[in-house]
Amino acid sequence: MTAYILNLLVLISVYAILSTTLNFIIGYAGIFSLAHAVFFGIGGYTAALVAMNVTPEFFVAIPVAMAAAAVTSLLLALPALRVRGEYFVAASLGLQVLAVTLFSEWKSFTGGIGGVIGIPAVEMLGYPIYKPWQFLLMSLICLVIIIGIIRILVHTSFGRSLKAIRDSESAALASGKNVTVIKTLSVVLSSALAAVAGALYAFYMSFINVQSFMLDTSVLVMAMVIIGGTATILGPLLGAALLMLMPSVLTYLSFLPQTEIGSIQQIVYGMAMVLLMIFRPGGIVSSHPGGGK
Amino acid sequence: MSEQLMTAQEIEKPAPGSGFTGSTDGQDVLLEITDLSKNFGGLQAINDVSLNLRAGIITTLVGPNGAGKTTLFNMITGHISPSEGDVSWQGESVIGQAPWRIARAGIARTFQDLRLFTHMTVEENILTMMESGSWLWQSGGKFRKAKRLDKVNQILERTGLTDKRHTRALDLAYAERKFLSLARIMATDSRLWLLDEPASGLDPNSYNLFLRLLREEVKEGITVCIIEHNLDIVVNISDRIAFLDQGKLLADGEPQAILNDPALAAIYFGER
Repeated sequence: MTAYILNLLVLISVYAILSTTLNFIIGYAGIFSLAHAVFFGIGGYTAALVAMNVTPEFFVAIPVAMAAAAVTSLLLALPALRVRGEYFVAASLGLQVLAVTLFSEWKSFTGGIGGVIGIPAVEMLGYPIYKPWQFLLMSLICLVIIIGIIRILVHTSFGRSLKAIRDSESAALASGKNVTVIKTLSVVLSSALAAVAGALYAFYMSFINVQSFMLDTSVLVMAMVIIGGTATILGPLLGAALLMLMPSVLTYLSFLPQTEIGSIQQIVYGMAMVLLMIFRPGGIVSSHPGGGK
Repeated sequence: MSEQLMTAQEIEKPAPGSGFTGSTDGQDVLLEITDLSKNFGGLQAINDVSLNLRAGIITTLVGPNGAGKTTLFNMITGHISPSEGDVSWQGESVIGQAPWRIARAGIARTFQDLRLFTHMTVEENILTMMESGSWLWQSGGKFRKAKRLDKVNQILERTGLTDKRHTRALDLAYAERKFLSLARIMATDSRLWLLDEPASGLDPNSYNLFLRLLREEVKEGITVCIIEHNLDIVVNISDRIAFLDQGKLLADGEPQAILNDPALAAIYFGER
């Protein structure tokens, strides 16, 4: 039972990193991306490759994974952020579809459909991390650091620029903000931090394949952000916890047909999103139930 | 404060020839618009307009709906590219430049629909306008930060928004939103303000405060160009009037000369 709970907590903290980093662009910059799982995947595959071929050292694998995600995100952000929001959503969806194909076919990097197996235990300054509680501690520390970075950023002039762009892009331009560069930076930063989650996930599972980085994952992480509450620190954490716990809770409800738990889960997600958008569009944690950010 | 509208003279309208303010003759041309045209498909929104904005005065753009006033603002600030012609700011062409570059060069604007940063507080709205050149954070340490806060306090006090400092723009009353729009532009270091119907819908008290603020800023050396429909406001505010109709500049000169022209009045009131 303890192992089960520890496993759940590690996964919640990994997804909390993902939802927190996606919230950085959705909540503060108004950029809706459907490609967050791509950067999760690039982080995972890159860290796995570094660990298997160079060193499993945390302080090497994580920065390399972040750099790989950052560079890839530039390919999306530079052309796509020159246009208005809805086009970015479409472009990110395109990247997500493209990336799934690449993850499935690029065997030398991703192992193809079969994925990458035998990822060695991560080491922190030479000390191997393989017990679940060690992983939990490591992922929680990463989560806290990432929350700290984002919290500091949103209170700087950079954060105010992001919020200004979210509220009125034309007014932000008229106030002298280089909107394209600011939006690009925010996407690059968000993607690089999402790669941390990917690397942690790869090290924890010691096996990854394309199934973890598909459009479903991007939608799930977006649901975590929206249900929890955009532009808040607590919202994405709560969203990640709720949506990760839901499958487990549903399996305990004996009156539900256990073979249909997956479908019931999708129905519950969908209903929760619809009801929230009607009654509390800012999300559960929103301080402005009428839709404020 | 009186509920009646104050005239420009009552609000210390500057004497002709007194430094930056007053007479429209012989002053530096800050912004020069030359042969500017804009086509939207088959529609000629701006048609060969040439106009100078002179330093230290208030120039008002008047004309019926669809005359091209806001389009002209959009082209000056780089939000729309002209089909032909040039806009020159302090001797340098700004055509082709991004709106943020033009803003940093010293041309600030407001919008008819305000476009406030609605989910940010009043203070954040003002601070954001003071940070156009900063990336992650403002340089200069505590001293500069204290100066910025001091400037924010002054702006809040002058615009009557001190009590609303921590209120979101979304939650402000209409007149307060108008003053926040003005407060934001006051926070910039711009020399030229383009104001799109800044006084429309203001009650008499708010209008008088607005007029006083504008005159104080002009006295400090700010050049203002306003789009306005209300002729009472036009009379009270303007040092110079440019009359546009169907994208053409029909007249440009002293307020009385323009307003007393029966042909222009007929166009303005739709009687032609």
